[in-house]
Amino acid sequence: MATSESSETSSDQDSRRRFLKYAASGAATILMVYIPGATAGHRYSRIWKQRSKEHQWAYIIDADKCIGWGGCVRACKRENNVPDGVFRTWIERYIVTEDGVYVDSPNGGLGGFHQADPEIQKKTLYARFIPKMCNHCANPPCVQVCPVGATYKTPEGFVLIDHDHCLGCAYCVQACPYSARFINPVLKKSDKCSWCYHRIKKGKLPACVEACPTGARKFGDLNDPESEVSEILREGKWSVLKPHMHTGPTCFYVELPKEVV
Amino acid sequence: MAPPHEALVNYVFPNDVHVWWSLMIVIYPYITGLIAGAFVVSALYHVLNLKQFKPIANFALVTAFCFGLFAGMPLLFHLGQPQRAFEIYITPHTTSAMSVFGYVYGGYMIVLTIELWLIYRKHFVRKANETTGLERLIWSALCLGVNTYHPDSEKLDHRLARILAGIGIPWACLLHGYVGFIFGSVKAISWWATALQPIIFLSSAIVSGIAVLLVMYTVVKWTSRAPYDYTMLKSLAAILWAAFIVDWALEILELVHVWYQDSHEWEVIRPLLQGPLYVSYVWGQVGIVSVAATLVLGVAVLGKGNGKGMLYLVNVGSVLLLIQVLLMRFNVVVGGQLISKSGRGFVDFHWEFLGREGLLAALVLFSMPFITYYVISRFIPIFDQPAGQAK
Amino acid sequence: MINPSPWSHLYRLGILLGAAFVAFLVIKALATPPSWNHEAWYRGDALIDMASQPLAHGANESCRDCHEDAVKKVKKLKHKKLSCEGCHGALADHVQDGDKIADAKVITESRRQCLNCHAELIGKPKDFPQFTMAVNKHKTIEEGAVCLKCHDAHDPTP
Repeated sequence: MATSESSETSSDQDSRRRFLKYAASGAATILMVYIPGATAGHRYSRIWKQRSKEHQWAYIIDADKCIGWGGCVRACKRENNVPDGVFRTWIERYIVTEDGVYVDSPNGGLGGFHQADPEIQKKTLYARFIPKMCNHCANPPCVQVCPVGATYKTPEGFVLIDHDHCLGCAYCVQACPYSARFINPVLKKSDKCSWCYHRIKKGKLPACVEACPTGARKFGDLNDPESEVSEILREGKWSVLKPHMHTGPTCFYVELPKEVV
Repeated sequence: MAPPHEALVNYVFPNDVHVWWSLMIVIYPYITGLIAGAFVVSALYHVLNLKQFKPIANFALVTAFCFGLFAGMPLLFHLGQPQRAFEIYITPHTTSAMSVFGYVYGGYMIVLTIELWLIYRKHFVRKANETTGLERLIWSALCLGVNTYHPDSEKLDHRLARILAGIGIPWACLLHGYVGFIFGSVKAISWWATALQPIIFLSSAIVSGIAVLLVMYTVVKWTSRAPYDYTMLKSLAAILWAAFIVDWALEILELVHVWYQDSHEWEVIRPLLQGPLYVSYVWGQVGIVSVAATLVLGVAVLGKGNGKGMLYLVNVGSVLLLIQVLLMRFNVVVGGQLISKSGRGFVDFHWEFLGREGLLAALVLFSMPFITYYVISRFIPIFDQPAGQAK
Repeated sequence: MINPSPWSHLYRLGILLGAAFVAFLVIKALATPPSWNHEAWYRGDALIDMASQPLAHGANESCRDCHEDAVKKVKKLKHKKLSCEGCHGALADHVQDGDKIADAKVITESRRQCLNCHAELIGKPKDFPQFTMAVNKHKTIEEGAVCLKCHDAHDPTP
């Protein structure tokens, strides 16, 4: 009697344990796949107080596709009157060699790039062009440190600057880990990439995305499950710049080499 | 093949080429530090009742006030849009440490002004009754129209001044400490981001405040051919010496901690200290200047001298410390921005002589508090209590 | 003042401070922008200001309004995916309020215009058409020859 009871109990325990194990690993798998893909930018939202149900914009850069043309940098300069010497977007080239990493960004990539030193070319293992811009973080340190509320996160995901309110104190410039912000030498106020808010509001794409000939730059709505950006994020192979800073960038990179900072 | 970690070029992000916070942001915490330090000295008597500091208690307060009048000026010079500076009062964004500046500074100046007013009111009343015409009008205004001095109001004023001094200490600490937090909370800049930052700023503020008072006291007494209070000076020098040892220990601690952890911060800090900041930090801030100041003050304080020799040593030590604290502000503010956020390169700092953030502007601005002190001293007997040295 | 109390000066100070405080609150209320978003802490009207920034680029579809045929022709060629404005300049430099203000000529017809994309550089994807100047097919190329001499800008396949 005792034996059968105990064997029943132990097999019950076994099946319960097995069930729990499957349930746990199933739940974990779902969470591991779903959460990063669908809520990548939403994880960090201490500053993001008001969220739009209509649009959730995101930007994706495919590091394998950029050819370093520089037309995006030029388009942005023209579209947004960006003065010389400062950049709302720029391109960097990372050349990984046996001895280490070379990085350059001649005038932000404005005029394209020229061939690297032959010595370096000989040692090159691989190289990539990496476009960069404001990451429109979900937890932006720049918004946190602005003393007067001149920079802010909009419900749809843009991080914007109110040029009628900015003091030009440059605290936000210090706080940005990506050097996306600068003091506009003409306006004497803080400035940065705005994802061409004025174009998005008219149903167009940012000027840099329009200019890109290879599809390295993509922009879209995460609330639209059929958009290219949603599909790419669902695949889960994205990464962000300086993830240890916990800024929650909504600019995602695909095929980002680990040497990129 | 070597491990592929090292950067081979000096790569700086395209937007990183400028040092945005320049000399004005170096002297701003320097000035608020002097305010905090001077106020703490005044509180040694007004709150802690240390009788030996009574002779300089009000002098310290007036000095704090003179520096306080100009604390906001470097910020106005620095802002891209200084005419919008008032926005810090209208829409302060309280997630930002910088947003507290408006209210903390404004409120502190009100507290300081009221405390000074209570202390020197007797003198104002006397002048209002002794003068005529426009001068009388001004003194009466300073008395708020109450041109007679009721004998009981002296005790009342003294008690109220004591309360204000008590409130003033933490307030002065906040006025300067928040600056340390502004730097210490920026995770993007390795040289700034440490929890010790507000504490180091505050301890060096107290050092600089005591040092400037010692030097100013010597100069004032020397130019007015008045006797020095050697006992008080030695006492104050002892406090300065102790305060600096604590401050220096904190600075060394911060350095040792980041060196020992050998993490991503040290990767950019080590080349910074071996390169651009080698002279101003390694030799200057934590090296020769600190060692010399400690030795000089140590001899002055521990030695038997109680006269002119001690006075000279104390002044030399104080000047060295004023330099040390200025170097510290420079090393933190400018040094942090020399590290590119690419983690692979360093930016150059270009000295300007003319221009909004130039050396000339900084020198002129920094001399204004001393000139103001001189002007005030022509109208108010800073060192004497208005009607004798009662108590 | 006849027979002031020991508190007179403090009463006056209190009144002065009180009045200043009230004045400050009034000024603060008046100076706060009316559209201020108190939860997210920014000026609501700033979004309207941002949206009113004039557009400089029109995107390829905007060229169709006047250049229907040209656009249709290029749509069948190799360079169909490229942004017209990438080589021809921004729309706002060419057209304003529907009127042409300047030609939309290509920025330069030198080699650099083509080599900017097509010069061989490490970093470009391996499958992207890129060339050095010593390309086999150009054995007889003259010094300083321009690509456009032999290649169509919209369809450079030889």
